[in-house]
Amino acid sequence: MTAFSQLLISGILIGSIYALMSIGLTLVFGVLRVVNFAHGEFLMLAMYGAWGITQVLGLNPYWGLIAIVPAMFLFGAIVHRLIVQPALDKPHLVVVFATMGLSIFMQNVALMAMSADLRDVPPVFAQSVIIGPLYFKAELLLGFVVTLVCTVALQWIIRKTYLGKAIRATVQDGEAAMLMGIPVPHIFLITFAGGSALVGLAACIMLPLFSVFPTVGLNFVLIAFVIVVLGGMGSIEGALLGGICVGVVQSLSGYYIAPAFGQMFFFILFLLVMIFRPNGLLGQKGAANIGMNS
Amino acid sequence: MTPLLEIRNVSCRFGALLAVNKVSLQVAKGELLGLMGPNGAGKSTLFNLIAGVLPPTAGEIVFDGKSITDCKPYDVARIGIGRTFQIPKPYRQLSIVENVMLTAFLREKTTAGARRIAEETLADVGLADYMGTPINALTVGLLKRLEVARALAMRPKLVLFDEIMAGLTPTEVGSMTKFVAGLPARGITVVWVEHVLYAIMKTATRMVVLNRGEVIAEGAPAMLARAPAVVKAYLGEEMDFA
Amino acid sequence: MASFDRASSARSPLIPLFPQWGRVSIFELALILTCIALVVVRLPTSFQDVLLLTYMFAGLALAWNIAGGYAGLISFGHAAFFGVGAYTSTILYLNLGLTPWIGLWVGGLLAAVFGAVLALVCARLRGPFFILSTLAFAEVVRLGALNWVSLTGGPEGLSIPPVSGYANMVFTSKAIYAWIMLSYAVAIYAVTKALEASRFGYYLCAIRDDEDAAAAAGVNPLIGRTAAMALSAGLTGIGGSLFAQYFLYLDPTFLISPELSFQFALLPAVGGLGTAIGPVLGSLLITPLSELLRSHLGNAAAGLHLVIYSAGLIVVMLYFPGGLAAAIAKLDWRRRRS
Repeated sequence: MTAFSQLLISGILIGSIYALMSIGLTLVFGVLRVVNFAHGEFLMLAMYGAWGITQVLGLNPYWGLIAIVPAMFLFGAIVHRLIVQPALDKPHLVVVFATMGLSIFMQNVALMAMSADLRDVPPVFAQSVIIGPLYFKAELLLGFVVTLVCTVALQWIIRKTYLGKAIRATVQDGEAAMLMGIPVPHIFLITFAGGSALVGLAACIMLPLFSVFPTVGLNFVLIAFVIVVLGGMGSIEGALLGGICVGVVQSLSGYYIAPAFGQMFFFILFLLVMIFRPNGLLGQKGAANIGMNS
Repeated sequence: MTPLLEIRNVSCRFGALLAVNKVSLQVAKGELLGLMGPNGAGKSTLFNLIAGVLPPTAGEIVFDGKSITDCKPYDVARIGIGRTFQIPKPYRQLSIVENVMLTAFLREKTTAGARRIAEETLADVGLADYMGTPINALTVGLLKRLEVARALAMRPKLVLFDEIMAGLTPTEVGSMTKFVAGLPARGITVVWVEHVLYAIMKTATRMVVLNRGEVIAEGAPAMLARAPAVVKAYLGEEMDFA
Repeated sequence: MASFDRASSARSPLIPLFPQWGRVSIFELALILTCIALVVVRLPTSFQDVLLLTYMFAGLALAWNIAGGYAGLISFGHAAFFGVGAYTSTILYLNLGLTPWIGLWVGGLLAAVFGAVLALVCARLRGPFFILSTLAFAEVVRLGALNWVSLTGGPEGLSIPPVSGYANMVFTSKAIYAWIMLSYAVAIYAVTKALEASRFGYYLCAIRDDEDAAAAAGVNPLIGRTAAMALSAGLTGIGGSLFAQYFLYLDPTFLISPELSFQFALLPAVGGLGTAIGPVLGSLLITPLSELLRSHLGNAAAGLHLVIYSAGLIVVMLYFPGGLAAAIAKLDWRRRRS
């Protein structure tokens, strides 16, 4: 029983961190109706950035947030202007191939610049948190808290602020929003850049827990896709729920079934969700029809 | 004589909304049946029920002596019912001729044969001069004509026209009306949903008026225009000032 | 994306100079003769490797294009079919002694079944959802191959004994492999051209462009999609078997890798989706470039070839969405319209 609760809670914690890394993807999809296939490479870039800061300045990766989040915002804005925006009015597969190209580009630039070696940082906290018979890495708990704060803050931004209202208007009807004087191209830019900034945040939280290497993005982007689909593309609270589902499934199946089959189980879960609930667990209706005739 | 198309007590329900309520209709061979009614009357739903896009929740649809109630759109097309789309749905990466060839393939398996039928059909609807034009350069009027050509290229026994006049210039409406009026003489039965009433009133051999999912009037066009039920459906209750 | 004026292509009686929909052109015949000549002249061994891989990737890109270009089923999971083909013929040979000449057909057939299953599983999915599902599907196949150790050798992989001979389809001469790969590419080119000239090919384009309109023309979209995917997967599987016989070593992390899937998709994207010549031009341009960069710069610049070619892909997609095939079409001055 202790083992089970340990696994369950670890799964929830790790899942929340997966959710944090997926929010940017789901946000961009929800607003721009675009799947950024280079999302994982954004994460990889930000993790290398945070790692660099720990190496050069000797700080722990959480300090890296101060530089990485704005840097990723800027990076996202540049990518949006150069690659995503020009593709928006073209057939859907243009943006698919363009972001796929960007993903391969970034992976291989990283391979050339950093080699294939795994880089990591030492644990930030010397001790684990002990609750009764259960042990948790403090980094995981911190990640969980950050994810919760982030989800609530984003919900608040989207519900209450002018920016959030403009974003929701754009999602509902871009053309009408444009006519109401909402600068839709700016909303797209801010959303894409903001999604990238969130990836930067996730990277700093994840660095103490995971190694970084050039193809690390591929592992995580597949997890992020599963989460985003499970939660319903475009739904932030759905991403949290999807992340926790994935984390728990991975944690339990890794222990009770063989770890390798656990991974496979998780892609099968993805396919099952796609077949039976293509709109996700909480997703908006009709989301699966995006790109229908493009 | 048995009718070509027979709709028996067909209903279609979306949740709480009864879009089509126990509609019965018969279309004889060689007829040009106009289907009219205010917005939300159930015209499009009825259209989609015949075309196999929606399954009816009750009732039966019989075409040429066979039930097509459970048929999918491609089955309906194969047994000889052509249709147009209200919002034109061309194949954007194909040429105009190829767009029409795709339905012609129902009659001719070879590309050369299908191309021949397609070119004939395009000439027929007056698109002969546009065969080299890219799809994206076509105006709404031309796209509607392309829809008509696609529906006719399969050499159907029955065609379903869905608002082929919307967005057309008055000249285009005139020539299209004349064209559609000539179809029954060529052995093609027509069921025509239209909002441009003067066009349909002039051509239809019989009209059916739908309102709130039910048939409220049926008969010759001239007679219907003055029928109180129709006026009421379109304009609302007559006020009594006396 | 298609860049040819197909409407008039059935008109002129002569063999056209430049590629046209559903017809063989002088350009293509010259290209095939050049490819044959390159095998005949016996280039140095290292170039022969590049040459045969170029032909193989041309064939694989053509196979991908049947689903991705014509039927609009963008798949980033085709490496799964490649792997299924490679493993099937190899396992049949190693365990049952079945010659790969027969095994490759079994491999192709099994890959086609996998393709049909994928198409049916993803029947309701479109756009990014479909693409993501193909990725996940390939991952399931890869992890399956990695973990079914008794059959596939797991992460250790499988080795085909390098005993040369026609019966076991292992050769010491690279030229023979080059002939095999060239025949493979030419055969799929012929299939593609036949598809363009057939009703079925047009049906696939219709399903790609508008499913509702296709259904109204009597086309069953599900059957069309499934058939296109099965055909594409089957041809990819045969390519996998051929690659196994050349490489003589199967490793799931390479054979069924997402990278390989991307490569199958990117070659036609650069060359021109939904055209027959596009995937060939894509492979002729990119495969030698990446192989030569890889072999000459070696580990000093691991990944440089992919950097160049992904940058090329982005530029092509954003500014020349017709790909190389559209560039060729522009050369055709007689058909250019004002």
